Amino acid sequence: MGNLYHNKTAQWLTYAVFFAGFAVIPMTVDDSFLLNQLATYGVYGMLALSISLCWGFGGILNLGQGIAFGLGAYGMAMTMQMQTQDESNPIPPFMLNNSLDHLPMLWQPFQNTYVGMILAVAAPTLFCAVFGGIMFRARVSGPFFAIMTLAMLSAFYTIIIDRQPYTGGVNGLTPPSSLQFAGYEVDPYSPTAYWVVFGFLLGATVIAKLITQSSFGLVTQAIRDDSERVRFLGYSVAGYETVIYTVSGLIAAIAGCCWVMLVQYVSPAQLDVGFSLSMVIWAAIGGRYSLLGSILGAFIIQGAQSYLGDTFLATWLLILGGFFIIVVRFLPNGLASLVESGLGLFAAKRGPASAEPNGDAKPIPAE
Amino acid sequence: MPGLLEIHNLSKSFDATKVINDFSMEVTEGTLCCLVGPNGAGKTTTMDLITGRIKPTSGKIVFANEDITAKHEHIIARAGIGRKFQVPAVLRDMTVRQNLEVAYSRQTNPFWNLFKFRVTGLKQKLDEIATLAGLTDRLNDRAGILSHGETQWLEIGMVLMQEPRLLLMDEPIAGMTEGEIEKTARIFKDLRKTATLVVVEHDMGFVREIADEVVVMHMGSLLAQGTIQQIEANPRVRDVYLGEQEAA
Repeated sequence: MGNLYHNKTAQWLTYAVFFAGFAVIPMTVDDSFLLNQLATYGVYGMLALSISLCWGFGGILNLGQGIAFGLGAYGMAMTMQMQTQDESNPIPPFMLNNSLDHLPMLWQPFQNTYVGMILAVAAPTLFCAVFGGIMFRARVSGPFFAIMTLAMLSAFYTIIIDRQPYTGGVNGLTPPSSLQFAGYEVDPYSPTAYWVVFGFLLGATVIAKLITQSSFGLVTQAIRDDSERVRFLGYSVAGYETVIYTVSGLIAAIAGCCWVMLVQYVSPAQLDVGFSLSMVIWAAIGGRYSLLGSILGAFIIQGAQSYLGDTFLATWLLILGGFFIIVVRFLPNGLASLVESGLGLFAAKRGPASAEPNGDAKPIPAE
Repeated sequence: MPGLLEIHNLSKSFDATKVINDFSMEVTEGTLCCLVGPNGAGKTTTMDLITGRIKPTSGKIVFANEDITAKHEHIIARAGIGRKFQVPAVLRDMTVRQNLEVAYSRQTNPFWNLFKFRVTGLKQKLDEIATLAGLTDRLNDRAGILSHGETQWLEIGMVLMQEPRLLLMDEPIAGMTEGEIEKTARIFKDLRKTATLVVVEHDMGFVREIADEVVVMHMGSLLAQGTIQQIEANPRVRDVYLGEQEAA
């Protein structure tokens, strides 16, 4: 009782401080390479957020988030690829190399930037709604659902490699120039690109946070606790699970679009099982019950990988694995739970009555 | 006048075993019906069949003139049937308050609930039920740490939050003290003014005190139905059930 960690005002304040910190970065950082790198971390943060929403709050372990991310990324890459084709040269070079003499049906909508971008987000979201709907209606849950997502992810991975004339196969797609949007060119190394990612991460976090605080969030937590019981209260468990899984997929799809905007590249590696597993690891280490904790988990792991990975090379994976085991063994609810218990002790010391939102004690895990 | 709940020739087999065998009963609106019978008579299975947890092999269940046979659990709950389980089923990781809030399921549509942050009428109802269940001091505690008796009360509270037309109570007084049992009897009698109750109970003293009507089940079939006096005078019931209890 009286734990500041559970105080809604304190939570929102912490989120505000976190995002304010991120907003000032482009004003102080001149290094455009670093800015681009930080923006990609923002994309990873969005993915960790989507996992936290689905797994932490909805109790649905999704090992195939790479589906939504990858399909979003492919949609965006196709859109950007088509921006560089024109009337005289309407077919991307890799298709010509694979002896295609006309633009496939699948690619035609992406000739229009707006239609392409809408499809890049809508197609994966629709996939989640349909796939999730079928699975949850059949009451597939827990590890069985996780296995289904994994199988589905592998299926997409294989299809993309196999259909080389349409997808670029293992090479993936490499749009030759950066995204043109509404007459502007979005240079991936510019503060603009950073702001776009920052804006989506902020928006996704606020929406996810509101969802967890709504009546919907309360019901999903109840489902996580005991889905069988919740049915007898009149809630359609499948409906709730489908919605939260789909919203999570939508966030991942947007992350995929942002990612391609930043790196101008997509390949089947984005649908690799290992990458989807690392999204789950980010959320597990940061704390899947905390949206912000999960985002920070992604920053910590990916940041460490960028800087320590070069020093330790292959040993890095062992270090990461060891770290993961330690967290799961001693902090099953991730680093955020450290803050939770810390603030709990603090509240207990000060007595239950005197715990009010306090400006200087912020539940931010070590950054 | 037809009953609020009518069960017609209900049967349920698991493989070759007939658990419920051509069982029929009728519950009149505004009454309290006790469902009794020895262990394995099929009482809880009947509850499972009414609430849609399992589907009958044959037969028909009609609630408020609507056929609810083999409908999904949440559809039946929305129709107005609330259930307390034999082993108290509360949401153990959530607080007592959250348990009651979730149970106040006026709006069940996931899309509407995405935009709902304050539920009208919730606070008043929650205070009322928390007082009734004696859980006012426990609202911020995790439901998992409650004692068995408190857990029973919480689940009764959850069923009341649903404001169902028909309440199914599976062994509601197990683990309660004498005083709590009296309180439960009082609450159940009060509830009869606005709702209909079906109570599964072993404690004949409690049944005698609350029941308007008693239905005795034996081996998945209806053995007898009537007032408590009729049931206690029924020689067949004495044989299979009451006699057995006296011997024990």
